[in-house]
Amino acid sequence: MNETVVLKALHIKAGENTLVNNASLVIEEGEIFGLVGESGSGKTLTAKAIINLLPKGLSYSADEIITAGKNMLTASTEEKKEHIGRNIGYIPQNTVFYLHPMIKIKNQIGDGYIHHMHKTRTEALEKAEALLYKVGFKHPKIVLNYYPWQLSGGMRQRCNIAMALMNDPMLIIADEPTTALDSTVQRQVMDLFRTINEEMKLSILLISHDLGLVKHYSHSLAVMYAGQIVESGYTNTVFSNPKHPYTQLLIKIIPSLKIKKNEPLVEIPGFVPEKGRDIKGCVFFNRCSKAVDICKDMVAELADDEQDHYYRCNLE
Amino acid sequence: MKNNVSLILGIILVLIIIVVWALSFIYMPYPPNEMNIPNKFLKPSIDSEHILGTDNFGRDILSRIMYGSRNVLLVAIGSVTLGTLLGIFLGAVAAMKRFADTIIMRIMDGLMAFPGILLAMMLVTVLKRGIQGSIIAISIFMVPVFSRLVYSMIQDTETLLYIKAAKSYGSSRRQIFFRHYIPAMLPRLITQFSSAIGSAVMIETSLSFLGLGIQPPFASWGLMLSESRQFFLGYPYLAVAPGIAIIITVLGFNLIGDGLNDILINRGNSNE
Amino acid sequence: MLGYVLDRFKSSIVVLFVVSVITFFVLMIIPGNPAQLILGTDATPEAISELHVAMGLDRPLYQQYLSWLLDLLKLDMGRSYVYGESVTVLIARSIPVTFSISIFAMILAVFIAFLFGMISAIKKNSIADYFSRSIMQLGAAIPSFWIGMVFIVYFGVKLKILPVSGFVPFEENFFKFIKSILLPSIVLAIGEVGTLLRIIRSSMLDSLKQDYMDMARVKGLSAGKIYIKYALRGALTAPLTIIGMQFAKLAGGTVVVETIFALPGLGRLVLTAVEHRDIVLLQGLVMFITSTVIIITLFVDISVMFLNPRIKKFKQGEL
Repeated sequence: MNETVVLKALHIKAGENTLVNNASLVIEEGEIFGLVGESGSGKTLTAKAIINLLPKGLSYSADEIITAGKNMLTASTEEKKEHIGRNIGYIPQNTVFYLHPMIKIKNQIGDGYIHHMHKTRTEALEKAEALLYKVGFKHPKIVLNYYPWQLSGGMRQRCNIAMALMNDPMLIIADEPTTALDSTVQRQVMDLFRTINEEMKLSILLISHDLGLVKHYSHSLAVMYAGQIVESGYTNTVFSNPKHPYTQLLIKIIPSLKIKKNEPLVEIPGFVPEKGRDIKGCVFFNRCSKAVDICKDMVAELADDEQDHYYRCNLE
Repeated sequence: MKNNVSLILGIILVLIIIVVWALSFIYMPYPPNEMNIPNKFLKPSIDSEHILGTDNFGRDILSRIMYGSRNVLLVAIGSVTLGTLLGIFLGAVAAMKRFADTIIMRIMDGLMAFPGILLAMMLVTVLKRGIQGSIIAISIFMVPVFSRLVYSMIQDTETLLYIKAAKSYGSSRRQIFFRHYIPAMLPRLITQFSSAIGSAVMIETSLSFLGLGIQPPFASWGLMLSESRQFFLGYPYLAVAPGIAIIITVLGFNLIGDGLNDILINRGNSNE
Repeated sequence: MLGYVLDRFKSSIVVLFVVSVITFFVLMIIPGNPAQLILGTDATPEAISELHVAMGLDRPLYQQYLSWLLDLLKLDMGRSYVYGESVTVLIARSIPVTFSISIFAMILAVFIAFLFGMISAIKKNSIADYFSRSIMQLGAAIPSFWIGMVFIVYFGVKLKILPVSGFVPFEENFFKFIKSILLPSIVLAIGEVGTLLRIIRSSMLDSLKQDYMDMARVKGLSAGKIYIKYALRGALTAPLTIIGMQFAKLAGGTVVVETIFALPGLGRLVLTAVEHRDIVLLQGLVMFITSTVIIITLFVDISVMFLNPRIKKFKQGEL
């Protein structure tokens, strides 16, 4: 199958401090890939590395970064810029300042389209209107004339989605698309993603700390902890047979209506480490209830090839 | 990092001027007003007795620069000090006494609306020309800036808890003022003070250039520039020395003001 | 929004009023008898007191103030002692000169400040950046007349390409008009570029840090679009306010430059008035210039409000 994104051995550092350690993942064409982890686990940075958007102070290295079919490590800056702009839609986490407050929606939604697809302004506005309708706006013409601050968070999110779709991209990266929204709108937005994925056959990288969400909507997933990918595979496989203790705990944590009345909520004691992410041993060692001595010094990278199920743990 | 460079450079420049100023009391190569017509228009040269040359009256330029520094600094520092004190007083009164608030601040707004030179010229018309007039005129120009600053700073600090605490255990207003407000306001006041001296020198120079400021027999760099105008075509060097003196002084104080601003206020956090 | 406009309008009126009071009363403190000044030293005491009464100088001060104010509103600023003409006419004649150099100076300053300010911000801490910032500091410290004199000697006398004095109205000969205002405007601009450049650089740096810049980059837009459509747009509020203030300041502060270049503008009139203690002329001039400053500032504030739709929104009181 065609792979939209191939990431091998990505390391991201801020000076001496390692932020992301040896992350690898593969996103197939037309699949929704969930990247799960707590805040600070490195999910956003990993995604930004794929689209060449890392902040200036950070350094990175990787064996392979193939984004939307193009090798990012060998491409020139100009080529990268063009390729990413043309083929990737980015839906950022916090909507407020990602749309320029002094520019009307109609004047910013289409500029990527005009630039990469060589269309006119009128054509851009037509397409924008159609997409805005598709993402759920009943009166797209009015929305186009608004300034971003005149819209609610959910509406801005949907504008971002429409904007990301303008070029019929191969890949959409959605960073915590539901965090700032209330639950009904969350549902709408996620269903929208699913529709887009099914209809337009585009891949989606879904970044979220909400495992429940990812379980429901993604085909494959990767679990990140402290800058490392500790488990990845098809969603069904991982959920039916989670191998890494962290994943197991996360699954247990998902709130569900089935919890008995007085049962305490599960929590994982401790905090995500900021430093020391590049140790040889297991990075989850301090918080793992199943850890054994050997876990401190080394950790195996195991894979179950038949089902493409990868995990980083010494236990079976 | 750039902040420190500004500050250091500024201090160096100002020190140069201060040295010149101090030296003027101890030793000047020639009496600054001594005319020596046979020696007029001597070009500056290292070997000559007159390092910076002589002017149209044969007066030694270096000595005049040194002598001029006295009055320029006197006017600039004197007027800014006066303006600052008055400004602090008015700003504090306005911030702490309700009834005076609007009146004082409106008057300050009015004063600020006048373009600087215009205000100075207007005041000089009324007062006598010369050193006194310049000092008073420029200090009045400085008052609104400082009073506004103090006014808003007091208003901001007033809401801080520790002031409320001080009030609650009965500190008198004067105590609060001196023990709490002033230390809090000091950094910004000092920064503003330094920049203000730069502006004051510019205004004084302009005033004496126009003949409205320091008058002969006293000397001022602005006056020297104005006197050099007639002969500038033939003897351009006449304007170089005073011009450079002005630039060094203004640049020095401005740089100190900027450097202090970045360090004290932005804590190196500015867009540098 | 309308509330904001009315508010600003009201304060401006108050400030204008305060200015008029200050202008009038400060200048009335002058010792000496205006009537005597006009008639000269040979005049007889009777003639002096006659003129004194005729000029209304025997009335109580506040009455004089009121009648002056009322006349002002009728655009009658009295008669100048020195020139004998109506002050209004004198001012009207000088306006084109001062405004020409002020406007031209602003245009030059804006152009250079935006060019170098943006480059400085985009290529922060590069050599270009340090260069621009040094220029900016220097510009603020150089006395305008000094540069003016240097220019006169160099361009006017040595190279003989530009006139050293005199004003050519633009109706007469456009090319000569430009030549006559070029040097003075450059001199004025030098004084203003520094501050403006600093503000532009600072605003641009803030704007470049914003999230919307990320979006612009991900979209892979051209550099021009990124920096002008997105970055600059977010950085305009402060610079525009400053430009307005600077223009207003220039309009009032051209005395020295006009003196050096022998331009018959408002500044020169002021100098003459001050030198001869022509109170009437001075009062009229100060009132006119300061009012212009206040009006321009008001105009700029309101325009900036329109430019930044968010300010518009917040002023409305909704959130």
